[in-house]
Amino acid sequence: MRLEGVWLRYHRRGPWVLRETDVAIGPGEAAVVLGRNGVGKSTLLQLAAGVLRPTRGRVVDRPATVGWVPERFPADQPFTVGAYLTAMARVSGLSVAEADRAVRRWVDRLGLARFHGVRLPQLSKGTAQKVGLAQALLRPPGLLVLDEPWEGLDAAARDLVPEVIGEVLADGGAVLVSDHRGETVRLPGARHWSVAEGTVTEAAPSGGAATVVVELSVPAAGVTAAVARLRADGHHVLRIRDHAAPPPATRPDSDSPSTAAAVPGSAAGQPGERGRPGPAEVPVSGRPDVDEAPASGAPGRPGPAPEVAR
Amino acid sequence: MTALVRLRLAGFLRTGRALAPVLAGLLALGVLYGGGRAQPAEAYGVSAVVLFPVLAWQTKILLDVEPDVQRRLARVVVGAARERAAGLLAAAAAGLGTVAVALVFPWLVGGVTGPSGPGDRPLAEGLALGLWAHLLALPAAVALGALASRAITRSAGYGVAVLTLGAVTALVLGLSGSVAPWLVPPVLPTARALAGPLAAPTGLLLTAWALVWAAVALAAYGWGRRRRA
Repeated sequence: MRLEGVWLRYHRRGPWVLRETDVAIGPGEAAVVLGRNGVGKSTLLQLAAGVLRPTRGRVVDRPATVGWVPERFPADQPFTVGAYLTAMARVSGLSVAEADRAVRRWVDRLGLARFHGVRLPQLSKGTAQKVGLAQALLRPPGLLVLDEPWEGLDAAARDLVPEVIGEVLADGGAVLVSDHRGETVRLPGARHWSVAEGTVTEAAPSGGAATVVVELSVPAAGVTAAVARLRADGHHVLRIRDHAAPPPATRPDSDSPSTAAAVPGSAAGQPGERGRPGPAEVPVSGRPDVDEAPASGAPGRPGPAPEVAR
Repeated sequence: MTALVRLRLAGFLRTGRALAPVLAGLLALGVLYGGGRAQPAEAYGVSAVVLFPVLAWQTKILLDVEPDVQRRLARVVVGAARERAAGLLAAAAAGLGTVAVALVFPWLVGGVTGPSGPGDRPLAEGLALGLWAHLLALPAAVALGALASRAITRSAGYGVAVLTLGAVTALVLGLSGSVAPWLVPPVLPTARALAGPLAAPTGLLLTAWALVWAAVALAAYGWGRRRRA
């Protein structure tokens, strides 16, 4: 799918939100749309999804099935979760049996089963967001557009987003996702589109040599041995910090000190690695700005300064 | 698209906002038929005039009851043209329900009577002409309601203004001796035609007039929605 010379403004005399935008994304590719608040990320995503029509230019080769997860799910509707999702599945062209199957699958997958009979206005923000995610996936999308999909989601569901994205990519779909909280570091192979002052620029894609940062927690007593083991395995230990000072955008899940180690990246976010029992593992960033908490009181600080992975 | 029409009708009926136009319609019909018995064709002609603003209002409510983001979700799933068409079809279906109520209502309250004199139309003809009058008013009312919907007007104030202006203009410019009757749908001319004997060419002219007016107004709605998701 390509945006060719796309310009957009919302009103005839309004300012241009996007100017001369040329971007393309192919099957099996993911792109992360980055930028400050109000810079036009959602606008770009809505142009790609087909919600908005360019004022000038055109969008070509958009896949037939597009899944769009809006930034805020419109929960002010008089339907139950089950009835809404079934109706949306039917709207997308699935038969009654297919719609039931698809709804059951995604309701179970996203942990919505106990909300099946709950009316949409009664849902919490995060649960409503899951309904928004489910409706976009009922029919396997050729293009999945996610506008801040992590907003309001609990830890388990946040981990599910990269997993779902990985599946869409594996099926040959393209994925566009916006994020301003650094969560997209969970998509190590994605391209980066930066939106600023009406223009979209693409950062060089990270190749197979890219590294990602994995945070893991180890018992305080065994930290020296763990660090030595990681180094012996060829990993680059960036730092050791106390659990009491978690960096933004990470969620340490245990009470012991954490270490962060850089490992080679992969394109699909290694979905199979998530949800295993044992010490918590939180894949984190190659971006220094989301990983900046000081390691006060941490023993030794054996690692060098944080490394820029990409 | 049928699924989207059903979803929108369900949203309209379940919120309870369908009640306001239905009650307003029943009240207007109650006043209309409270005066005594009339011949069906003549009474239905006036009923169609009374229902025109009610049907337009009902259309606006039906289209506005869906949150903007849900309308955009539907647009992504089925495409812009079918999303627009589904809204209009849902409004037309709801309108047919209101028309059915309007056709049955006078018989329940004794507002109409069968043929009593030699010059009266047969009952079946009166009913058919009544149905025709309402069906002429419906597409124009749906088009007016769509033009007043939030997707086009973007604000409640403009929406009410478009709806009120459209309904009042249809009545004022529809009066006999109007300077520009063609600017508005022929709801009043149809009512006048049904008060006396109706010639076939007049009937055809009124039908064509109503359909062309609705087509132009719906085209304006489609054009306006191109950049208004």
